[in-house]
Amino acid sequence: MALIELTDVTKIYPLGNQQVVAVNNFTLQIEAGEFCVLAGPSGSGKTTLLNLIGCLDQPTSGEIRLQGQDVGHAARKELAALRLHKIGFVFQAYNLIPVLTAAENAEFTLMLQGLDKAARRRRVEELFAELGLAGLEDRKPSDLSGGQQQRVAIARALASDPAVILADEPTASIDSQTSEELLALMERLNRESGVTFIVSSHDPLVMAHASRLIKLVDGHLETAQ
Amino acid sequence: MDLLALAWKNLWRNRRRTLITLAALSLSLMLIEAAHNLSFGVYRTMIDSGVRAGSGHLTIYRQGYLAARDEKLSFDPDSLADTITGFDGVAAVLPRLYLAALAQSSRESRGVLLTGIAPRIERRINPFLRKLPDAQMLTSLNGREAILGSRLLKELQLKPGNKFVVTLQDRSGDLVSEMFRVHGVVETGIKNVDKTLLLVGRERAGALAGIGHEIHELAIILNSPDAEATVYPRLQALISQFPGLEAVSWERAMPNLFNAIRLDYASQKFIFVIMLLIVTIGVVNTLLMSVMERFREFGIILAVGASAMRLRTLVLLEALLLGVVSMLLGTLLGSLATWYLQVVGIDMRSFIEQSLEFGGVVFDPVLRAQWDLLWMVQVAVYLLFLTLGAALYPAVKAGRINPVDAMRHH
Repeated sequence: MALIELTDVTKIYPLGNQQVVAVNNFTLQIEAGEFCVLAGPSGSGKTTLLNLIGCLDQPTSGEIRLQGQDVGHAARKELAALRLHKIGFVFQAYNLIPVLTAAENAEFTLMLQGLDKAARRRRVEELFAELGLAGLEDRKPSDLSGGQQQRVAIARALASDPAVILADEPTASIDSQTSEELLALMERLNRESGVTFIVSSHDPLVMAHASRLIKLVDGHLETAQ
Repeated sequence: MDLLALAWKNLWRNRRRTLITLAALSLSLMLIEAAHNLSFGVYRTMIDSGVRAGSGHLTIYRQGYLAARDEKLSFDPDSLADTITGFDGVAAVLPRLYLAALAQSSRESRGVLLTGIAPRIERRINPFLRKLPDAQMLTSLNGREAILGSRLLKELQLKPGNKFVVTLQDRSGDLVSEMFRVHGVVETGIKNVDKTLLLVGRERAGALAGIGHEIHELAIILNSPDAEATVYPRLQALISQFPGLEAVSWERAMPNLFNAIRLDYASQKFIFVIMLLIVTIGVVNTLLMSVMERFREFGIILAVGASAMRLRTLVLLEALLLGVVSMLLGTLLGSLATWYLQVVGIDMRSFIEQSLEFGGVVFDPVLRAQWDLLWMVQVAVYLLFLTLGAALYPAVKAGRINPVDAMRHH
């Protein structure tokens, strides 16, 4: 059984009096442990596809399964629980909570899961050591560099041991050297810990790290290598 | 870090806005508590002064007397007065009789309210008689000395020591007259009272009216207004053994004072409600702005797995913290203001030269607050609930955020 299965998925958005087809009749399977990159120009449907896989949005038609569970037609509450326990997110603009420290940001999903403070701290210490963030636990996001903030975002995504991490343009806001370091880190996590990554990007640097490259054009699957 | 800690941190994101909201809430609470405690103190002083000079905290009448003021509705108080004096919480029992009469000097005549009193007990309790020099006080129940209101004395063109005649209709309907001598002069500050007050020993008045020992009113003064809760039921039980008598509280016996206080406090309450409403609108605005500003961030929180309920709880917790801090700060400031108003008070003498009359009672021109702790707690809790109520709409709005839309928002 594939980790993620999309079958004939279509997503149509209303835009004024018109309807925009963001994803059109899309079928795809992603296995556990893959490092997939969704590539394509702006407006090709990458982010919409990530939102659908990430249970943030629901398809107009078609079926989406995560670990065999139909998530395309689940209720809002169920979707929130799925996101909390099975999916990690890394966003283009880091999107850390500004009033929390780096460690508090990283343990946020664990707090939502109801873990006690000591267990949360242990997990965050492990992750910070692994991601090269040790010593930055008490810094606020505003006191961290872009690369450090994105690492904290990865720590937050990894903290709850999700089945898959979805990263939307994770290198778009950082310089190329930091991007290279970040991608190397994600690749290492994928290789050593077996975490599945689905990354959307049009950055050739990101595509170069892909174990599988999925190209989209106008909401269609162009090629999958 | 948990949701409460996050709520606390969120509250201080926009320090200035939070401080302004806190100040509005706390100062409103302070003003409401201080204003209420000042009124509470003034009302209590007025009631105390009113009941001591007037009907007492509790009063016994013949049934129907209160409504009709019919002089024929008198009763013998002797056995009752002794029993009631022994009740815990009772400071004094004052027998009085009231007779409509005509007072005549050699030059003028005026209608008066001849009031028969027990001078010794009355002097201990009645605030106007307390101020009277010993030499002017009535000495016996049966003497011919009289104490007159200051205006009456002037209108009758009398002086202390002068004689005058009182004429009234006795129980059998005959006109009877008696001569009295001006022994003391009282100035209550209440025009109507000072124009008609004529105090004499109650046995002399009873004899003149042909009713012997009988009286019209047995005024019961309590050690504290709070004693009414225990004394009143005992009094009711006792009165049930005396058919034709009734025991009433000061609110019924002195409806003018009671209604004046009620009306005054109702207008204050209206101002309190308006004040709280304005502050609540401010809180709604603060919380709503705070939610709208974090639209994108709330989208992220939802995206990483928080339920809508969790987000609503976060907004409500922020309001709860705002309410709790305002409640504590406002009550602290309210307590300081009450303390000041109790110790120093507001001296009205520099604004008003004449004595202050309200609801037929003269009150101290230095207004002083008294603590109404239960009320202070109640209004502080109301404020907390108002703040929580103000957060409902912003919380619902936060819970309805769609994470995909929110993350597109810049």
